[in-house]
Amino acid sequence: MARMSILVSPELCIGCRGCQTACKEWNQLEGEKTENRGSTENPPDLSTNTFNKIRYVELPSEKNPTRLLFVSQRCMHCGDAGCMKICPAPGALFRTEEGAVAFDKDKCIGCRLCVTACPFDVPRYDAKNKISKCHLCADRISQGLVPACAKTCPTGALRYGDRNELLGLAKKAGYAKVYGEKDLEGLGAVYAFTDAPKIYGMDESPGIPEAVVFWDNVLKPLSYLGLAGVAAAAVFHYVAFGPKKYEEEKKDE
Amino acid sequence: MNNNMIRKVTGSEILIHWTLAISFFILVISGFGFLFHMESIGSAFGGFDQMRDIHNWVGVVFAVALFLTAFHYLPVALRFTSDDKAWLLQGGGYFSRKKAHVPPQDEINAAQKLLYLLVLLLGTAISVTGIVIWLRPGMAAANKLVLFSFLVHNISFDIFLMAIVAHIYFATLANPGTLRIMISGTVPLEWARKRHAKWVQKMGY
Repeated sequence: MARMSILVSPELCIGCRGCQTACKEWNQLEGEKTENRGSTENPPDLSTNTFNKIRYVELPSEKNPTRLLFVSQRCMHCGDAGCMKICPAPGALFRTEEGAVAFDKDKCIGCRLCVTACPFDVPRYDAKNKISKCHLCADRISQGLVPACAKTCPTGALRYGDRNELLGLAKKAGYAKVYGEKDLEGLGAVYAFTDAPKIYGMDESPGIPEAVVFWDNVLKPLSYLGLAGVAAAAVFHYVAFGPKKYEEEKKDE
Repeated sequence: MNNNMIRKVTGSEILIHWTLAISFFILVISGFGFLFHMESIGSAFGGFDQMRDIHNWVGVVFAVALFLTAFHYLPVALRFTSDDKAWLLQGGGYFSRKKAHVPPQDEINAAQKLLYLLVLLLGTAISVTGIVIWLRPGMAAANKLVLFSFLVHNISFDIFLMAIVAHIYFATLANPGTLRIMISGTVPLEWARKRHAKWVQKMGY
């Protein structure tokens, strides 16, 4: 089926955080006790009980002394997902038909390698040391429903649908930058920005850590190619030169 | 004279050798299971969850056994003489169908010295980085250290595996009669004279 995704339009967001509440409700995530840090941004970060949140970016200027940006933070469901690349447990992280990166806690072995390979600092671990993160409401979208966050969003700042259609929509609306169209083989959460991504707190060119890419492309194949190569060299040596001989075998000749 | 057997290694050395060897194979097999998502290996270990614990704790056994080797073999391997250099330059006599005329060798030959140093270096790197990956804190701030460890763990593993395949070849097919050192611990005196002349002399056999 067509790849589905979320389109985030921060300029349409009013910061009501209904998406956060709806996410908690659908995924049965407990509330968190937090401290007043002088901002309505709350909780301060993603956690095992917070799969999505609105980042508040205050950008006061002379022209607009109260400019506030509300940016939805969540798993980006990368087309080329670092977490899936590095995960050593088959099936712990998997891609759904719709293109979401979902997880299976029963298969997670709690190694936390996905944390190191994620370009967006998304995976969190629960008290049982199992991965937890946004899975684009995999259980809802597989039934043709809209993810809880997008379903509840009153302004259309979060929209769920066919990825190509959403990209077309954002471009047609004339946004300066559609974030995540090509990065990491296309993100599953694309953003319609009117300004540089940096201003919204996003990495301009996100990528899987080079160490992980090198490991995947070179070190993984080298593990068996090296083994086979040395074994082949040994066979060749045995045929070409045979076992080592010393003087003691003189009498055999 | 040919039937005169002498002791080449002690019982504890044999024990440590096979502890290293068996733990190494368990680590390699489980490691391949993780690298390539091999479900059959995972179930042989009782699931990937349990395979992770086994991989980690067998790693501890490996690290301890490796540490114990250093008392005896590190000084031996570090004593690198001009005979060793000459031996290496001749390829140890391995690249000729004729009989070997190589410089006299110590308790272990030049290539074995290098192999030991490589095994100690890479084995230590694998052990230390393995512990970092195992006990890492969850926060993203530790990512750089874990990624570096992950890289070193895998590079060392790849080289280690190649070195061990070579080691197995040289200890069996390439040198018939060598494997018994790590089984009975003894070798014929004449056999040792040819291969470890300096050591035989030093030991006064």
